Amino acid sequence: MSNSAIIVAIFSFVLATLLALLTIPILVWLERRVASLIQDRIGPNRTNIAGFRLGGLVQSFADVVKLMLKEEYYPSHIKMGKWLFMFAPVITFVSALLAFMVIPFADTLHINGEALRIQALPIDFGVFWYLAIGAVGVLGVIFGGWLSHNKYALLGAARAGSMVISYELPLGLSILSFILTYNTIDFNAMVAWQSRTFFGILPSWGILVQPLASIILIVALFAETNRNPFTVAEGESEIVAGYMTEHTAMKFALYFMGEYIAMNTASAVIITVIFGGYQLPFVSTQMLLQNFFNFAISMMIIMPFTIGIFIRWMRKNNTVRSSVSTDGGRAFETKIFTIALILMALIVEGILIYLAFFSENLMEKTIYVTIFQIAIFVTKLMFFNLFFIIIRWTLPRFRYDQVQYLGWHYLLPLALFNLFMTAIVVVGAN
Amino acid sequence: MNEHIQITPRPKISLKNKLYLPAIYDGVKVTFKHFFKNLNDINEVNTLSYPEEQPTDITSRYRGLHRLTHRPDGSEACVACFMCSTACPSNCIFIEATQREDGHDEKKPKSFFIDTLECVFCGYCVEACPCDAIRMDTGIFSLTGIKREDFVMDKEQLLSHKGAFGKELSCARN
Repeated sequence: MSNSAIIVAIFSFVLATLLALLTIPILVWLERRVASLIQDRIGPNRTNIAGFRLGGLVQSFADVVKLMLKEEYYPSHIKMGKWLFMFAPVITFVSALLAFMVIPFADTLHINGEALRIQALPIDFGVFWYLAIGAVGVLGVIFGGWLSHNKYALLGAARAGSMVISYELPLGLSILSFILTYNTIDFNAMVAWQSRTFFGILPSWGILVQPLASIILIVALFAETNRNPFTVAEGESEIVAGYMTEHTAMKFALYFMGEYIAMNTASAVIITVIFGGYQLPFVSTQMLLQNFFNFAISMMIIMPFTIGIFIRWMRKNNTVRSSVSTDGGRAFETKIFTIALILMALIVEGILIYLAFFSENLMEKTIYVTIFQIAIFVTKLMFFNLFFIIIRWTLPRFRYDQVQYLGWHYLLPLALFNLFMTAIVVVGAN
Repeated sequence: MNEHIQITPRPKISLKNKLYLPAIYDGVKVTFKHFFKNLNDINEVNTLSYPEEQPTDITSRYRGLHRLTHRPDGSEACVACFMCSTACPSNCIFIEATQREDGHDEKKPKSFFIDTLECVFCGYCVEACPCDAIRMDTGIFSLTGIKREDFVMDKEQLLSHKGAFGKELSCARN
């Protein structure tokens, strides 16, 4: 194993861990702010560290501190299996975290003839890993609900368990049709397949090649991650908080964070399988490397515009109404961020100019393309998390029997039908 | 079939509604419109940045914190008749009466306490008062303190509150 292999392995592991764990506070913040904006409110925007509010993002860290410092309360009626009661949230959290580890963030790096995967777990059977580990998460929910010795928790756990059974099937079947189409079980190869075009003009993204399977996949993943409109396992209006009823402080927080990691993982899987992963449409990694000059020039033009638009938005919205006497340091914050963003833009421009005009080294360009693909991936990831959140604040919760009916009567037959049609087309085409 | 079973005919659902996806699309369109509008101009969101911005829509009928009114010569209008404390449903008014020496009436309150933590702000004391001596027209809606005793208003505090809507003096005593 060469040095570069070790560096890339450590880099991808750290990146995956950061992407999974650091997005939790961001997602909690995003959820609260998006919910409030949808409902014509403002949301948390006061908490700050030395005047830096980051649009209220600091609130999430304050929440974490609060949950850490809360009293650990054990329901005294839980006699047997107390350790499992405590361990259950960890199962949910860890399985959601592990499932994220097989997502490729960029195309395989080729350095000195070595193929290095930008994947925390460099395995080529990522789909199976995701399906296997992702399904373990519900065990934590079931244990937690069962051992709470509480009717609401038990009902919530039973609902979560039955929902996983009824939605794992359409999920697996729709992923099977993707496996047939892409002829691979490797997430990275799936992304590579999607960088082609079909019918000459369309990018061959899964959503266009397999629209039915894509919709089934998205719906099943919504159910798998317990997101609205499938939150029957924790339906407040019926069963208090479902399986989390007896869990307090950090035990609750682990369930809570596990849910957000699961959502993040689900977004990552949706992107990788049906939205072209870390690729831009029409643009494969080879094409980026071959036309690096054009790519660098267009980046040099697009990036300042994007940052300029963001700065304009920030200057307009990081303010208070004129009727409010103090702005709480918002003007200062805007100034600092404007300077930081412009500096960042200048540095990236400098690197691009160097790479486009002065560098003949292919490895430097490859690394830049890799970083660019990671940026694309994170952007898409955040976009799909936003999609999850907007759906949550749009749709009401389904009734429990409707959820089961949808799973068994619609999604399962549709997924089977789609699988057969895919198989016929694939066999016919070959 | 059993004649006791009554079958309610359900309306036919069209294919578009059965598919559910067009409805989701419509819903997302609405939420996204709100989201984007508010994201574009956060200061247009119709909320109050509370401690800095105070509400401006408190009307004269608003039942705020209590006050005791004055006569034109500056003495209190209250005659310690105990009507308010009798009417009070939460028993939060505590009055001690004493002889009045200034020639207006026979009695006046020696002490007059309102425990605002007990008070339910129903306004029955204002209705009951025969002398227009207690009113809830201060417009004060927020009362803060760091210990329980801070919330027990005594006579001096209640007399010092100003009416927010013009009428200062008692209408019944002069």
